[in-house]
Amino acid sequence: MEQVIANGLYLGAQYALIALGLTLIFALMNVLNFAHGQMYVLGGFVTYSIYGQLKLPFVIALICSGVTLAIVGALMEKFLFRTVIRRSKREESTMLLAAATAFFLDAVVLLLFGEKQRGVPKIISGVFVSDRVILPYDRILVGVVAIVMIATFMLFMQYSKPGRAMRALAQDRIAAQLMGVKVERYSMIGFALGAMLAGIVGGLLVSITGVNSGIGGPISIKAFLMVMIGGAGVVGGAIAGGFILGMMESVGLTVLRAYGDITYLVIFALLMIFLSIRPHGLMGKPWG
Amino acid sequence: MSRSRANTVKIVSAALFLLVLLVVVPLLIAATGRSDLYYTLTSVALLSIISAGVWITFYIGRINIGQGAYALMGGYVSAILVMNYGVSFWLTLPLAGLFCAAASVLIGLPILRLRGVYFAMVTLVLTEVTRLLALAVPTITNGASGIVSIPLPAGISFFGVTLVPDFATLANPRLAFYIVSVLLMALCFLGLYRLAHSRIGQLCQSLQQNEELASSIGVNIAYLRIIAYALSSFLGGVGGAMFASISQSIYPSSFTVADSVNFMLNCFLGGLGYVLGPMLGTFVLYFGWDLLFETEEFQLLIFSTVLIALMLVLPNGLLSLTLPHKWRA
Amino acid sequence: MGSEMINRRSTLKSLALGAVSLLAIAAGGTFSAQAENKMLKIGFVGVTSGPAAAWGTSNVRSMQTRADWINETGGVKIGDDTYNITIVTFDDQKDPKRAIAGMEKMAQEGIRYVVGPNVDDGAAAVRPVAESKGIIYFPYAFPKSLYVAPASNAVLGMVANYQSGPAIYKYLKENKGVKRVAFIAANESDPLSQRDSGVAAAKELGLEVVAETDTYQTDTRDFTPVLTPIMQLKPDLLVLSGVAPANAPLLIRAARELGYEGLISAETAQDATVLQEGAGELANGFISVGGASTPEIRTPMMEEFIDRYIKKFGEYNDESNTKVYALEYIIETLKANPKAIDDVEEFKKTMDTFSAPNPYAKNGTLKYVGMTSFGQKRQVSVPMVVTEFKDGAFQTLFVGEVD
Repeated sequence: MEQVIANGLYLGAQYALIALGLTLIFALMNVLNFAHGQMYVLGGFVTYSIYGQLKLPFVIALICSGVTLAIVGALMEKFLFRTVIRRSKREESTMLLAAATAFFLDAVVLLLFGEKQRGVPKIISGVFVSDRVILPYDRILVGVVAIVMIATFMLFMQYSKPGRAMRALAQDRIAAQLMGVKVERYSMIGFALGAMLAGIVGGLLVSITGVNSGIGGPISIKAFLMVMIGGAGVVGGAIAGGFILGMMESVGLTVLRAYGDITYLVIFALLMIFLSIRPHGLMGKPWG
Repeated sequence: MSRSRANTVKIVSAALFLLVLLVVVPLLIAATGRSDLYYTLTSVALLSIISAGVWITFYIGRINIGQGAYALMGGYVSAILVMNYGVSFWLTLPLAGLFCAAASVLIGLPILRLRGVYFAMVTLVLTEVTRLLALAVPTITNGASGIVSIPLPAGISFFGVTLVPDFATLANPRLAFYIVSVLLMALCFLGLYRLAHSRIGQLCQSLQQNEELASSIGVNIAYLRIIAYALSSFLGGVGGAMFASISQSIYPSSFTVADSVNFMLNCFLGGLGYVLGPMLGTFVLYFGWDLLFETEEFQLLIFSTVLIALMLVLPNGLLSLTLPHKWRA
Repeated sequence: MGSEMINRRSTLKSLALGAVSLLAIAAGGTFSAQAENKMLKIGFVGVTSGPAAAWGTSNVRSMQTRADWINETGGVKIGDDTYNITIVTFDDQKDPKRAIAGMEKMAQEGIRYVVGPNVDDGAAAVRPVAESKGIIYFPYAFPKSLYVAPASNAVLGMVANYQSGPAIYKYLKENKGVKRVAFIAANESDPLSQRDSGVAAAKELGLEVVAETDTYQTDTRDFTPVLTPIMQLKPDLLVLSGVAPANAPLLIRAARELGYEGLISAETAQDATVLQEGAGELANGFISVGGASTPEIRTPMMEEFIDRYIKKFGEYNDESNTKVYALEYIIETLKANPKAIDDVEEFKKTMDTFSAPNPYAKNGTLKYVGMTSFGQKRQVSVPMVVTEFKDGAFQTLFVGEVD
């Protein structure tokens, strides 16, 4: 059982990190970013190219992933989302745009990096073995890095100037504008930050699970689930959602295995029941 | 321009459109020999029926990314009734729709309370739930192996007069499927138009704008939402049943999350404010993809670039370019 | 005003369509046919985008490499005419509804021989089209209903897992002392069906099946949770049923890192580079039905094929060791009976007696098989090479044959 909990915690940390960027973009711009998973994949491939192919240090590869995606995110906000939000009569239109960008990134990644699963050498080898728990060191490291990054992100949002501006923006766009927050600038920074998080987590996880050009869509959907559990647009919710989903998968796959292929059915059904009782997730905004 | 004249123009143009689809298109296909177009046009007609369901849920202010679930359900209901109980396909068509409508009432009661992205995301999960269900109950659905070798629709006779011929005896069942699908599509969009211009339609629009306000003036919003969602699912079920019959097979993966997303995109692209939006959106998305077939590995790249460009230029849908305000639903 | 609106609407439609078709034509115009030879079109309908892109891509690339090679060396002589081969591809996005459209398209182009689809639902969906339009197709899908009469237009393009599985289990039982087997599969049609037939085969051999209901979502990235309970059952052999090349290294790595020391096997073709990158030395000892070719049995022609493939596409895919065959079978059968070039009934007649030397494997024969499994010859014979992964390459354990 300890092993199951350890699995769940590790999975949760990784999920929470994936969900953070998605929820940030949603909070700031009310955009459900369908391309989140594709950004993750792109980040993964950047790290793969730099660490796996060029053999540069992993940290440099991670930074490159983050920077690349931050640029991609900023450009997407400035040239695509801003325009569509301004011109569209319904805010759902951004969803179509996000889906189209997801297709676009899928196509670009497929053309640039091919259709194969890619992996990189382990960042640390070796496995921690005790009587009850077996955990490879690289997973432990990635889990710790994930938690450190989540904490850094929360501190940044809490105390830094851009962080505070973005929170104000998320709370009330118009009021924030009246108070002198440069809405356009911080929307762009926020979008870039969200994309960067996706890119970094993609790069980080290449060392464990590799990357392939087809997983973007499924990753987005997973991230939607976590955000839904925790509540859309709330950072704490995304983290809680990530850990809850990770734990449910880990426990479910062990406990329900005797009943056959129903773990995910049960998880999804529970989710639907939960949401009909709590329509805004654990801590989402009521207007979400 | 008087109201009655405007109506006459609408009726005449709709009749013309139908005439083109039922007579001119088959003639053109016969003249050019492009008989593969029957299936693609049939697909477009059916997909636009399913997408029309999504459009109805947009009409009550909900983003529905779960229509694939009902299409899959409808396909299975029809296939099981035909294969295991020997029911005529033509009877299973409405039955599949009704089954989906009933199921959607059960599912809708809790989830229609959700709004915005929450509803969108729950419906996104719904498609996957249906797929997993189809896998999990092999005694009913034949599980992973799917249901295959479904016979083509049998004929309908009425006092010895053949109303619908047995498809298996036809020289070109594709043409027959095409005619049926176009007729179904015409029915569907006629119904949609009536709905949008009925009192219920007006009420739905008020929901779209402000639910609290609508309920405060005495609109029973819960009831209205359920009705709209059931109608939506009915269309999904009918479309799914038709597809199962055309491909003579159904698998848990016959309708997936990607389909559900596409149905939603069809509506968006055509324009949410226009009754004909889903039809045009489906047409353009489907043929856009098909025409790009020649570009091989660049297909997806060009397709998505065009899609992004369209969103930038026409964020309110293709029809926003041409239709003046009066035509808006 | 009303009619004007209608006009404008239809103008818009045709404009949109026109723009897209212009693009298509512009791209299509880059093709240029060589004037002297006749053209023989061979189709492909399968998945070349999305998560399963690897399956179809290896098909398309094998076909294109081989076609270019043939055309470069003057074409292929069938009957009295010499033909250049043109490959017409269609990406069905793993959607059976699209696959039907693809098959219709092939029929429209006058194509009689199509490779694909890659998955069960697509192969079942295109069957009505193929049979009514007279097309022979070569699916990479295992359901027997596709190949057993009355079905007659599908030819299995590889070794099915219900053929290779028993051979592998028997070998491992006899040579490695395997007694307890655990199965794990993705919760999708193809892998689940393969798992079921694998479980049946193992039970028939008298092996103890300790886990047979564990499944994972195809989009799983971390397999530790799903493998944890299975590893506690301490099986001697873990079978990855129908595992996609992308998931195999992840499963292997997770199992090994959980301390699993038994054997791991799969009945689907895998990719050596992917295994090496994804699992490294942890993948050593992994047993799979290789892509029908290993250095030991490979002919110089196969070596050249691989070289050309790498020149054209940058990196080889071991799955292409199997996927090179379908096109070869089509061409060789047409050579044996030129009348089949536009008559698939002739092709079917020839299939019963067809035999030619296998250009890709030493001492091999190209012939149609499947009597035991399907009661008619509806499968291409490719060497069933069972391999063991070692330090980045597959090594041959044993070579078998299907009848």
